Amino acid sequence: MSLETLSRRSSTSLSAAIGAIPLILFVGLLIYFGLNAPNFLTVTNLKLVLVQSLPVMLICIGLSAVVMAGGDDVVSGGIDLSIPATTVLCAGIMASLLSAESTGLFVASIVALLAALLVGGLNALLVTRLSMTPLLTTLAMFVAVVGVNNVVTQRKRINVDHDAINAIREPFIFGIPLGLILVALITLIAFHFLHRTKWGLNLQAVGGSRDAASISGLNVNRLFGQSFIVAAVMGFVCSYFVLARGAGSSPGVEDNLMVEMVLATFLGAAFSPRRVVTMWGAALGAVLVVAISVGFKSMGVNVFWTGLIKGSLIVVVVATAALSQRLD
Amino acid sequence: MDKPALLLNNIVKAFPGVLALDGASLEIKSGEIHGLVGENGAGKSTIIKVLAGVYQADSGSIEVFGEPLKPITPATVHRAGIRFIHQELHLVPHFSVTESVFMGQEISSPAGLSKGQMRRRAEAVLKDKLGRSISGRKLVRDLTTAERKLIQIARALIDDEARVVVFDEPTAPLASGEVVALMSAIERLKNSGITIVYISHYLDEITDICERVTVFRQGQSVAVFDTVTKATGSELVTAMIGREIASLYPDSDRNPHGTGLSVKSLGDGKSFQNVSFEVGRGEIFGIAGLIGSGREELVDALYGVNKIRYGTIEKDSKPIKISSPAIAVANGIVLVPRDRRQDGLVLPMNILENISLSVLKQISSYGFLNRKRERQVAEQQTAKIDIRPSNPKTVTRFLSGGNQQKVVLARWLANDANIFILDEPTVGVDVGARVEIYQLIADLAANGASIIVSSSDPAELIGLCDRVATMTRGVLSGVRITEKLTVDRLVALTTGATQESANVT
Repeated sequence: MSLETLSRRSSTSLSAAIGAIPLILFVGLLIYFGLNAPNFLTVTNLKLVLVQSLPVMLICIGLSAVVMAGGDDVVSGGIDLSIPATTVLCAGIMASLLSAESTGLFVASIVALLAALLVGGLNALLVTRLSMTPLLTTLAMFVAVVGVNNVVTQRKRINVDHDAINAIREPFIFGIPLGLILVALITLIAFHFLHRTKWGLNLQAVGGSRDAASISGLNVNRLFGQSFIVAAVMGFVCSYFVLARGAGSSPGVEDNLMVEMVLATFLGAAFSPRRVVTMWGAALGAVLVVAISVGFKSMGVNVFWTGLIKGSLIVVVVATAALSQRLD
Repeated sequence: MDKPALLLNNIVKAFPGVLALDGASLEIKSGEIHGLVGENGAGKSTIIKVLAGVYQADSGSIEVFGEPLKPITPATVHRAGIRFIHQELHLVPHFSVTESVFMGQEISSPAGLSKGQMRRRAEAVLKDKLGRSISGRKLVRDLTTAERKLIQIARALIDDEARVVVFDEPTAPLASGEVVALMSAIERLKNSGITIVYISHYLDEITDICERVTVFRQGQSVAVFDTVTKATGSELVTAMIGREIASLYPDSDRNPHGTGLSVKSLGDGKSFQNVSFEVGRGEIFGIAGLIGSGREELVDALYGVNKIRYGTIEKDSKPIKISSPAIAVANGIVLVPRDRRQDGLVLPMNILENISLSVLKQISSYGFLNRKRERQVAEQQTAKIDIRPSNPKTVTRFLSGGNQQKVVLARWLANDANIFILDEPTVGVDVGARVEIYQLIADLAANGASIIVSSSDPAELIGLCDRVATMTRGVLSGVRITEKLTVDRLVALTTGATQESANVT
């Protein structure tokens, strides 16, 4: 019996140690950049990192809702890869409508939001009604939605110069950009709903154990479906920030968003004492991941190599998560 | 006298091909602890599922404290104050105790969850109703199995409206030391006025805490014991079995010699500890034990599916390390798994292909299959064991359970194995095919193979095996010669209805 307790304890601490590897790796990289990259640890640069990370943070909030409701099993659990596609589609729709001059931001927003809800609703239906795996469903949805966006924008860059959207990247008070304040607010609201309400806790219960949740009388499918809607709405919100950052919609933004979103969300699990994906962990993860991207740039690493590096980091993060779960 | 807490009248429930409940009745008095016993398939779990509203009965009625329950759905049953403690724990490992206890019934205000209030209530319920102080902040994954069981029970009590609590095999996952703690929690519940229905395979627990017991057999309640003492155990066994063993089994004029497989103080650190036994060449060795006794895990470990933490395995007096099924097979050890449809056969493949799977080396050269040789081997094997239909191109999905099992056996016969592990070899197999499978097993032993049969059917173990050992709560004990054993005694040994540890070998 004491032997059993001992072996359980040692495997728990081993799993905690393995779970911390990605975090150590990332902090190590940051320190390396700080020592070697010129100007990496300056206020200006850190502010740049923070502002750059806003879009990723927003979609990370969306993804963390889906992962919380679907469970963090990398293969069969909850994941929504289509969020970045929703973002570029919304951005594309708004950009083309705004450039047509006749439509205002309000109408453009409504159309974009409806498109996002359609994507989220379809994801929810396919996953809960047809019992398709979220990974494949949302991957297919990503490809399809990017395709729709190519039709909408003819895969061309569309400039947007709208005061309300420009305001996002401009200083609001004390030199802090409006976007940063907005994201801080959104993060707080999302945190409240995901972690401080009955609904949020029920969402996590569904992700933690579908059987336990349904025995406790929770509507498992409805909650899981709702998480895809939340994800789609966050994808929509993110599109304003993408428009503001790029002064319009440009093709190809979705790839980088997808990589950074997945990396940040699963990296964020290392921040949580329970070692599960949380909303604030994902948001913090977004800052870290963007910092790494900026770090590589300021080190002058060839852009073509960063794809390999980020891909490898995803493998490390996901593999350590899987390994530490198995040992637990 | 009070109205009975539960009155189930003449419940009939048929599934395609099976009459699961054949006019079963059950009366649970208010405030008692009532035991429910019966063999697998006797109808215990079916009647509980009818009571829970999971299955709709074909006929019959249910009254709760004198009030007819209608319609019977999970929601109305819950409203009537009936709670179920399922055998599986159904908890989220990374949830806190508070979150687990309140799952689905959280207290919240417009400002969000009332965490402090919930934690105090959860801790109070655990302490006052179940007699255990557990911090509401602890995570489920840091709790012992017994504590997790208490969390599960607390969840049923948190709304203060439970009047009847049904426990389904509550001690199955627990070590023996933890059982006592759970028993005292259940006693405490009873003393607070809650009526308890207690289902268990462990008859010692039943005689320990139950005031009355109903015995199920073949879909009916066949006996009700109004007073229960330690001595009731053997009467319960007789009522549960109530049948004669037919002469299904082959003669046992075998001649075991030497040692084929020897297992010394084997353990996996979880499900079984310090298991030692020897199987002779030409011997059929049985392992009895209830579900959850560690028997299945032991079998898996012998085949390299389950990890071994300590102990040694010797084959023909040479130590071997079995870390994967491939290594087991290379050492001549093969398994006929309990779930043949899932683990034993590739269902979309035909008989031929299934048999040749394990002898691919023999029938291929330079990486190419010799189709002619494949067909020869398969035909040899099918002829040996009389599979019907005998066309080797029949896809195994369409075979009956008995014939599927014969294909699994045939596969290993084609291989040069000499240690056979058979896990539940005749589950779901009709009587005719059973006789043939038993004969096949006996033939294998007669040819000098060592055979281990793990089974939950005591009659099968006694009829088929030379010796049988019993497994309870991860400990293998009492290796006995089956000639000196009766079914009653073996059931009593596995269920703990008698306490004895004399090793007769």
